Amino acid sequence: MKTPLILLAAILLAALLGPFVTPWTHDAIDWTAIRAAPFSPGHVLGTDSVGRDLLARTLVGTRITLAVAAAAAAVSLVIGVLWGAFAGWVGGRIDEAMMRIVDGLYALPFMFVVILLMVVFGRSILLVFLGIGAVEWLTMARVVRGQVMALKSRPFVIAAEAAGAPPVTIVARHVLPNIAGIAIAYLLLTVPQVVMVESFLSFLGLGVQEPLTSLGILVKDGADDMDIAPFALLLPGAMLVAILVCLTLIGERVRDRFSA
Amino acid sequence: MTVYALEGLTVTIAGGTVVHGVDLAIAAGECVALVGESGSGKTLTCLTPFGLSAGHAGGSARLCGQELVGRPESAIRRLRADHAGFVFQQPLTALTPHLRISALLTEAAMQAGGGRPDAKALAAMLARVDLAADLLPRYPHQLSGGQRQRVAIAMAIAHRPSLLVADEPTSALDAVLRHDIMTLLGRLRDEDGMALLLVSHDLAAVAGHADRIVVLEQGRMVESGPADTLMQRPAQDYTQRLVAAVPRLDSPPPDLPATGAVLLEADAIRVTHRGQGWRSKPFDAVIDASLAIAEGEALALVGGSGSGKSSLARAIARIGPMASGAVRWRGDSLPARGGMTAKHRRLIQPVFQDPVASLDPRWCVAEIVAEPLRHLRPDLDAGERAARVKAVLNEVELPAGYADRKPAALSGGQAQRVALARALACDPELLLLDEAISALDVLVAGQILDLLERLQRERGLAILFITHDLAVARRLCHRIAVMEAGRIVETGATDAVIAKPAHSATRKLVEASR
Repeated sequence: MKTPLILLAAILLAALLGPFVTPWTHDAIDWTAIRAAPFSPGHVLGTDSVGRDLLARTLVGTRITLAVAAAAAAVSLVIGVLWGAFAGWVGGRIDEAMMRIVDGLYALPFMFVVILLMVVFGRSILLVFLGIGAVEWLTMARVVRGQVMALKSRPFVIAAEAAGAPPVTIVARHVLPNIAGIAIAYLLLTVPQVVMVESFLSFLGLGVQEPLTSLGILVKDGADDMDIAPFALLLPGAMLVAILVCLTLIGERVRDRFSA
Repeated sequence: MTVYALEGLTVTIAGGTVVHGVDLAIAAGECVALVGESGSGKTLTCLTPFGLSAGHAGGSARLCGQELVGRPESAIRRLRADHAGFVFQQPLTALTPHLRISALLTEAAMQAGGGRPDAKALAAMLARVDLAADLLPRYPHQLSGGQRQRVAIAMAIAHRPSLLVADEPTSALDAVLRHDIMTLLGRLRDEDGMALLLVSHDLAAVAGHADRIVVLEQGRMVESGPADTLMQRPAQDYTQRLVAAVPRLDSPPPDLPATGAVLLEADAIRVTHRGQGWRSKPFDAVIDASLAIAEGEALALVGGSGSGKSSLARAIARIGPMASGAVRWRGDSLPARGGMTAKHRRLIQPVFQDPVASLDPRWCVAEIVAEPLRHLRPDLDAGERAARVKAVLNEVELPAGYADRKPAALSGGQAQRVALARALACDPELLLLDEAISALDVLVAGQILDLLERLQRERGLAILFITHDLAVARRLCHRIAVMEAGRIVETGATDAVIAKPAHSATRKLVEASR
């Protein structure tokens, strides 16, 4: 349990504080050191094809990627829990209709939807947050609905009704606290998915815009030059893999603990 | 001839000894019952020698003359397949859900090396347990609880074992089904000369059927002897308490408190449950049921599982759906479920069957009991509320110091006391007890019943008591209403109904409870 947590904390810390201490900013160009190799003077991890410091760019890219992931996961949590809890609690036809909407959205090729949003509303980082969050809530809604339905018929919930608690209070005080563990576990499993989606969008050139960067953009830039400068691909790639593995391991452990 | 004999059987789990030296012997055609509370080690005692539990057996266990203890697993498996059959408590989980009844029976018939049975043989297997052959193509979930248990028995006896081990075979069933299954087991025993080892927490359920009874307490044999002697003249203190706690239909009538004016009238209640999915047909759980309860009166609502008792009671207490009908409280109409105000909610409070599921696992006892006070008595401040919680916990005889515990740290009986305290906190006038003691061990159930009797007397509480056990109903209730398939088929004074049941459903219940 410890190792992925420590590694993730270290990555988080580096992404948050690193850009303040690196000698170069992510968008400053060093005309004297274009495509510098790692460990060259002034650039510990080398530079890219236009002479920007790779260490600074990787740290900033990690920061952006994690920020998008956290924000999108939060959006999916809010929509998913509200939608799922409402459908599960109300039940009946309304529940059926709401869940058919979820099924319908599931059927849409979701990358296509995100790309369409980008094309219609223009590229902005806010839209990346919202677009990803808006499609990632579907699984959360299903999980929460199932849990709420199971809890709804439990005697302690019926006893709360007999004790005069209004429905909103019952959901807030009895139902949601009892599904919080499972919701958090699924949230942690959503984050790596979002990281993947954001990186993919950026890789396609639809996500974050230059000179701001994300791990996806760095991987794409690195891939362009991988025959002559493989390190520019390997570094952001390794960072991405480390984040995904850590988040997935933590998420699965939390899930196992709460679903047992 | 002795079929199965235990001598000084011990069971250890993870280094700790949980069963200390049990002796018993069962001859062919004989039935021995192993009785004890939950946690007394009765299930471990009967399953461990066969390698069917996590425990490790010591001492001696001989099946048809062959020693089981210390044998390698393959040898035990062979003996088990040849000579023993098993029936478990939960008839649904004991049957493999994706297999049809025919496939389950075929598997059972072939496990001891028999040939593949044809359709006629399968039908004959079902006929032995009084089931029709048209159940063969069905799946377990399409059967009723009683049918499932019969199928499980048919599977267990398919290879004509010398010994049938039945672990709580009737605990998940209602009184009528319980009686039917026990009668069936007795008949099969007579027909085949099979030895029957019965495990139960319920002395009353096995007393009439077993030849001998072995009583276990915390892994130790307390007493063993012929059933009649043990029931009439129990030698040990523990057995005496067990026997005394068994409610009986023929004990002298209890002295019930006087009743007053009519408190609650329910008129032509109908409850309709919607099926799953868009197009499914709704079905009526309760059809035009009417009843009345007077001040201080206890009314028993009895009937088999699925007869609509709980649906009716929940509709009346406004904690379940109601399609049509009216409920009047002292002549005034009670608002619908959504329109119940604090003033109305206070009047009727429920207590449910499963004591642990009745309490929010994340709340502590004091918070749980304070919940109705917070909503229904907004006039109380925090200090008065705490005092009220303390008083009511004291009233249900929960030891002091339990107020900070979470439900997981409570026993079943303690949890049910907390649920009762929550229901009593706002001084209700009618208590709805939905199978409130059915899930508890006999001794604990007896204590809760004593407590209810005292509360009924001291508080002048009216009670709507849902149960499938007439003997329990009789201890507390002035009148009985019998339900079958959603309708109330008979109502009357408790002793009159038990003495002269008019409807066939009532007759069946009375017969099953004797």
